[in-house]
Amino acid sequence: MKHILKLHVNGEDFEIFTEMNKTLLEVLREDLGFTGTKRGCDLGACGACTVLIDGKPYLSCLTLAIAVQGKKIVTIEGLAREGKLHPLQKAFIEKGAIQCGFCTPGMILTAKAFLDEHPYPSEEETKRAISGNICRCTGYVKIVEAILSVNENQ
Amino acid sequence: MRLPKFEYLEPRSLKKASEALTADPKGTFLLAGGTDLLVNMKHGVIQPKRLINLKAIPHLNYITEGKDGLRIGALTTLHDLASSTLVQDKYPVLGQCALEVAAYTHQVMGTLGGNLCQENRCRYYNQSVFWRSARAPCYKVGGEICHVVRKSKECHSTYRGDMAPVLIAMDAKVKLVGWMGNRTIPLKRLYTQIGKKPLSLRKGEILKEIFIPSPSGQTLYLKWRLRGTLEFPMVSLALHLEKNGEGNIDRAKVILSGLGTGPLEAFEIEKMLKGVSLDDGVIEKISNQMVKEISPMRTSIASPNYQRKMAGILLRQGLEKFKS
Amino acid sequence: MDKLNVVGKREVMLDAWEKATGQARFTDDLSFPGMLFGKILRSPYAHAKILQVDLTQALNVPGVKDAITGRDIPKKMYGIVPMAKDEYALAIEKVRYIGDEVAAVVATSVEAAEEAILKIRVDYEELPAVFDPFEAMRPGAPILHSNVPNNVSASIRKEFGNVARAFSESDVVYEDTFETQPVNHSPLEPQAALAIVDLSGKVTLWSSTQIPFFLRRNLATTLDIPESKVRVIKPKVGGGFGQKIDLYAKDFCAAFFAMRTGKPVKFVYEREEVFTSTRQRHPMHIQLKTGMKKDGTLLAQQFKVVADGGAYNSTAPLMITLACYFIMLPYRLENLLFEGYHVYTNKPVGGAMRGHGIPQVRFAVETQLDMIAEKMGIDPLELRLKNAFLAGEPHPGKLLVQSCGFSDTLVKAAEGIEWKEKRGKLPFGRGVGLAGASFPSGVSNMSHISSGAIVKIERDGAVTLLTGAADIGQGAETVISQIVAEELGVTLEDIRITAADTEITPLDPGTFGSGVTLRAGNAAKMAALAAKEKLFEAVAEKMEVHSKDLEAKNRRIYMKDQPEKGMSLIEAIKIYQYSDRPMPIIGRGSYLPPAKEPTTLLKEDGNFSPAYSFMTQAAEVEVDTQTGKIKVLKMVASHDCGRAINPMLVEGQLEGSVVGGMGQALYEDVITDKGEVVNPSFLDYGIPTAMEVPSIVSIEVETNDPEGPFGAKESGEGTQLAPAPAIVNAIYDAIGVRFKTLPVTPEKVLEALWKK
Ligand SMILES: Cc1cc2nc3c(=O)[nH]c(=O)nc-3n(C[C@H](O)[C@H](O)[C@H](O)COP(=O)(O)OP(=O)(O)OC[C@H]3O[C@@H](n4cnc5c(N)ncnc54)[C@H](O)[C@@H]3O)c2cc1C
Ligand code: SF4
Ligand code: FES
Ligand code: FES
Repeated sequence: MKHILKLHVNGEDFEIFTEMNKTLLEVLREDLGFTGTKRGCDLGACGACTVLIDGKPYLSCLTLAIAVQGKKIVTIEGLAREGKLHPLQKAFIEKGAIQCGFCTPGMILTAKAFLDEHPYPSEEETKRAISGNICRCTGYVKIVEAILSVNENQ
Repeated sequence: MRLPKFEYLEPRSLKKASEALTADPKGTFLLAGGTDLLVNMKHGVIQPKRLINLKAIPHLNYITEGKDGLRIGALTTLHDLASSTLVQDKYPVLGQCALEVAAYTHQVMGTLGGNLCQENRCRYYNQSVFWRSARAPCYKVGGEICHVVRKSKECHSTYRGDMAPVLIAMDAKVKLVGWMGNRTIPLKRLYTQIGKKPLSLRKGEILKEIFIPSPSGQTLYLKWRLRGTLEFPMVSLALHLEKNGEGNIDRAKVILSGLGTGPLEAFEIEKMLKGVSLDDGVIEKISNQMVKEISPMRTSIASPNYQRKMAGILLRQGLEKFKS
Repeated sequence: MDKLNVVGKREVMLDAWEKATGQARFTDDLSFPGMLFGKILRSPYAHAKILQVDLTQALNVPGVKDAITGRDIPKKMYGIVPMAKDEYALAIEKVRYIGDEVAAVVATSVEAAEEAILKIRVDYEELPAVFDPFEAMRPGAPILHSNVPNNVSASIRKEFGNVARAFSESDVVYEDTFETQPVNHSPLEPQAALAIVDLSGKVTLWSSTQIPFFLRRNLATTLDIPESKVRVIKPKVGGGFGQKIDLYAKDFCAAFFAMRTGKPVKFVYEREEVFTSTRQRHPMHIQLKTGMKKDGTLLAQQFKVVADGGAYNSTAPLMITLACYFIMLPYRLENLLFEGYHVYTNKPVGGAMRGHGIPQVRFAVETQLDMIAEKMGIDPLELRLKNAFLAGEPHPGKLLVQSCGFSDTLVKAAEGIEWKEKRGKLPFGRGVGLAGASFPSGVSNMSHISSGAIVKIERDGAVTLLTGAADIGQGAETVISQIVAEELGVTLEDIRITAADTEITPLDPGTFGSGVTLRAGNAAKMAALAAKEKLFEAVAEKMEVHSKDLEAKNRRIYMKDQPEKGMSLIEAIKIYQYSDRPMPIIGRGSYLPPAKEPTTLLKEDGNFSPAYSFMTQAAEVEVDTQTGKIKVLKMVASHDCGRAINPMLVEGQLEGSVVGGMGQALYEDVITDKGEVVNPSFLDYGIPTAMEVPSIVSIEVETNDPEGPFGAKESGEGTQLAPAPAIVNAIYDAIGVRFKTLPVTPEKVLEALWKK
């Protein structure tokens, strides 16, 4: 069944007419064109589809779009502000934490939520926080380095 | 993998939700965090006609302490549970246990109620429609066969939740709300130990609250899996001991996950622990007993033999921690 | 070598910002108006005849536009190795494994396509299936392909030197059996393809591929249309590791349906399909006999290798050949008898994966070397150093090794792991181990393997680079751009690169065999040089000097010995322009790896690769003796990559590869039950997560290869050859138990400890 879906994504309101059984991942990618959110497994086990909902990390492949109306959704496209990269994005780029880049959006958003909660984490806590985000390319070393570097100089 | 079609409801109260649930108990499912339910729906093992989103109901997300114990709303997320200073201070094992569930995002999404009510698991069940098409449908999906135990007349799917063992060990009770009224039962009795229908919820019933009596004694939770994250327990064990003034054990609770059709209580072990004082000999003897007390089925990629061994090892580790 | 400005710098990957902001477009991120979505129906039987396929009900599902079965497609076989073609894009007469392609549909939505494939009725006649390669080789076993009656679809028997004599001259002879498991590459991006067809009938395919030009050829073959009617474009690719070398049903189906319907068509695999129906690392059964002199000189080795290939060939002949030739590196081994078999079974298909046939045999050799060292009372490091191959030595298989830093990598890795201080000296439960390996930097001895590049210097001093090289996340575009920037004396920001589009960019064989940096890098370097020489000519004329005395650096062209005499690049371009020389300023490069007698090694010996990289992995582990759990504490990866064009990217390659190797050692295993993959998910298949990752130290050993661009060789792929044996050797040092099968799970450790 179709219905009118109202979502607030990256600071903008969207209203679309779509099927009720769609996941947030499907709506973001297929209806709204936010293809930065990736689909790695579609079953909640890789973290590639992670987005922020009211500041917290959600697996969009296991989230019903209809159930998050009225909430503040942020995808990777919405993280940079006025053309300025988020410090995490900058750190990932500069530290070489990105290879193929498929895990990157989910990884950065998970890290963002985590750092917002724990600004000065230990290496162990950081590893735990991103442990639901699979990366097959980097071996995580530079990712952890990048996350830890963000608040280091403050 | 697309979700099957369903009707979606957002009732504003538990009463309304329960009514809707009662109207079509077979075709209606409750949605909390969705981290268990949506996977099962994508796999086509659960095909709801209607989904009721409990998250739209106010006042089900709380952690409060009364003089007799802790009350947790069923919609409280595992992340909130682990982050609560109240829990960290007075019921630390609950927070530690919540951090053992899946990974960060799942803890943010997953609720305590959903964790307790999650479906049983089996390597022939948690698979896609295509995957399952290579075999005859099994009992759990309405068929006439079990692929794990060929001669069996019933389903041996396994309960793999992390939170239930600890809560049962702490004598938690759950408040269930139905259209006919409320009832409170020991959490232990929420589980039927029947693979095909693991929960004892009656028609229209919804889990509203988890109550944990003020702690006496010590509880710990040990979880075993291949990697340090994401995975369900191959075996896990909650151990609760209450000692008397002389250091002898007055009361013991040993609850396991990942080994049976529901959270498993190791009665023999509990009996053996009663009255003893923990020393190396006792620990050795009692943990060796574990192997005899459980008989897991091959419902996951772990071998039953290994699971048995590991259960004994976890018990030994737990008892050793409590030795002093 | 002169001081370098761009090469050797830790430059940020060119497209990192796109990837960090969600702008990077992978195949599944592309869409076109009116696009149709496809799904493939796969076989639920391990082995069966297809009697009949009825598409009627599927076609009746609202939104479904078309459906096909194997009988609707051109009867054209494909395969990555031409002599081993054995696959149709969709199964025609029978299915050979659970997951084999039977039919496909396209619809206006994914939902409709998913619904439709469930409505396809297929009548099968089940056939007996075989799941074990040894059973498959027995007379009377079910036969998968009628032209291969013993199911051995590729084999090799090669003797180098005189093995019988060498064994008789050996003081000690050891014999052991090893087994490795199937491993899935698991790139995070599932395979995807999107095709459109224009009015002239030309197909354009965007595909998650590592080898656009090979894909074009295979696709044209299977579609039965001329190669010029196919254009393959590689968008961003989310990792490959060898799995995206083959053509898959999704490529064919996207193109074929686009041709039939005239609409854009997209196919994207589910994660489950990646596990069941793409490729995996071949599980191998390895019998290894080694003869040695008392002093530790390696005299002879004899192998019997049985690789479980699954239902089709993919790279079978090449895989088994590589396994053979690379036993004779990184150690001096003059006498080798190698018998290898690639056997069909009704299981998922083996293919090229990081190391391609070599990690398995390396595991056997490196583990056994440690066993021998112990029995002979020699330090495993010394034993390896004693037998280490040296640059310029003759190779029995005629590989031409011009640079070799193997001994150096051994010594550095040992230092990094504190070998002297730790080996045999740590408390019970902790230990260190190491293992070595060697890998080619691209394949020289194949036809049409040349790589091309075009470099254009624009009027404003910007540089346009066209290369066919396929960047799949490893940073090839960045590295090649660095090479061009260095050669032209400009900065990396001046380079604009267009890559991997078969219609626009010059030919390139693609990303496999670790040849990109060397091959495409050399081609680009040549192109840059050609463009530069044109400029120099004009400048030399104006300055009245010899062009060979000129140099380009820092966006200037000047006299080598009088740097102040010269001009800016922009001025030089102006001079070129006003000297009435042909515009634009274009340089062309084409690199064909030197091989005197082109051979694939499949038939005769020869120099397989233009250069060879060498590496040592060292590991420190901690074994929980109560539970059997192994924790890798530290890995040291020392790698002779010739020269690191970009040390940051090399480190990234090493780290990722090490962690993958650790997965093979400890966690990963594609488990099948009667041919069906039991764990086709990230939940049940144990890819290492951040929690498993140890501290990793990468050490680059630079040997400056004469053939490599700025001396560069392979990095990253070879790194996955040795982590598993290094870890297994460390486990032995920790608990005194020797594991000869992978992965070493806590269950196995516990069992071994209880037996002890
Ligand atoms: C990759 C992955 C790994 C996981 N690993 C673990 C793990 O290690 N340990 C573990 O325990 N779980 C694990 N899970 C499962 C799941 O994430 C958790 O159990 C989670 O806590 C479930 O909560 P939820 O709110 O998301 O449940 P939902 O999916 O919303 O619901 C689960 C079930 O409970 C029912 N339900 C929910 N709330 C109520 C209620 N109030 N009253 C009655 N019925 C209700 C639903 O109808 C549904 O059948 C994993 C899941 C994934 C995808
Ligand atoms: S235990 Fe048997 S019946 Fe139950 S889900 Fe598994 S296969 Fe089906
Ligand atoms: S795509 Fe959502 S977790 Fe993998
Ligand atoms: S960079 Fe490729 S998966 Fe992480």
